[in-house]
Amino acid sequence: MDMTGDTDQAASAGEGAGLDPREAARILDQARRQARRESDPRSALAAVVGAGVFLFGYGAVWWSMRDQQVYSGPAGWSLAVLYGLIAVSAITAGVAGRRAHAGVSGRARRQLWGVAAAVAAAGVGAWVVQGSLRYLGVSLEIVYGIYGPTVPLIALAAVAAGTAAMRESWLQLGVCIAIIIVASASTFFGPLGAWGLTGLGCCLVLLAYAAGLVVEQWRT
Amino acid sequence: MHEPLDPLIHVPARLRIVVTLATLSEGDALSFTRLQNMLELTPGNLITHLRKLEDAGYLTSTKTGNGTGSTTSLALTARGRAALDAYTEALRNLLGGLAP
Repeated sequence: MDMTGDTDQAASAGEGAGLDPREAARILDQARRQARRESDPRSALAAVVGAGVFLFGYGAVWWSMRDQQVYSGPAGWSLAVLYGLIAVSAITAGVAGRRAHAGVSGRARRQLWGVAAAVAAAGVGAWVVQGSLRYLGVSLEIVYGIYGPTVPLIALAAVAAGTAAMRESWLQLGVCIAIIIVASASTFFGPLGAWGLTGLGCCLVLLAYAAGLVVEQWRT
Repeated sequence: MHEPLDPLIHVPARLRIVVTLATLSEGDALSFTRLQNMLELTPGNLITHLRKLEDAGYLTSTKTGNGTGSTTSLALTARGRAALDAYTEALRNLLGGLAP
């Protein structure tokens, strides 16, 4: 091992000749729980911030359109609120992920890049299709009012669901499926329904997820 | 008759090192700095324990880069994982039902 140390203090000072097996069992259990907790990228705080994006971001867009008899699109300020909150949410989730993966190299790091590529491809693909629909003459109401708030979200949730299933993270898988159900069902209710119901429903799903994470982490 | 506890692992600091590295998936490695932060050991103490584990073939260390920018990554070997499994099993038998 090519590492320099300040001392060669004998590890024998801590040798476990007198280590009680019960104490060893306690150390083993505690170390395992601590390592799992510290390497878990899931964050209740990030989930609550995500819930805020849906409640206040999607809610702002819904609020700005609520009196429109004929669809004319959301107000600029509501889109600013939405994208500002999305940026805050992305930063919060990124910090939690970086903290969990700090110092880890090898397969996990490559998998992380693979997931990031899949998420980017899903998001970009969904937005490209949105552009093509508009290009082909589909109405603004459909393209921005219904497709915009739901289909990119469904695409991203589908990627996240696949990743969660591969990791056997059933709580996360349930959340992704719930988001897909809420977003797809809301499209039946027009632009106001798509923004309003998706916002409210996904907010509740993420708050439930945050509560589930707190309970899970408290148990471990 | 119980299996004896592996004396190399049956030391608080080394037990914590092996368990922490075992939570990584196979093929993953953890930096020396992160491991030190997680276990709150001094560098000298940690190095001493790591050397013993590496000498026994329980872990591998890989150094990348040079000088202050260098990073040492640590990973448990298959032999190390098997040793921890055997240790856990021996401990479970000794205590008559340790929660995994």
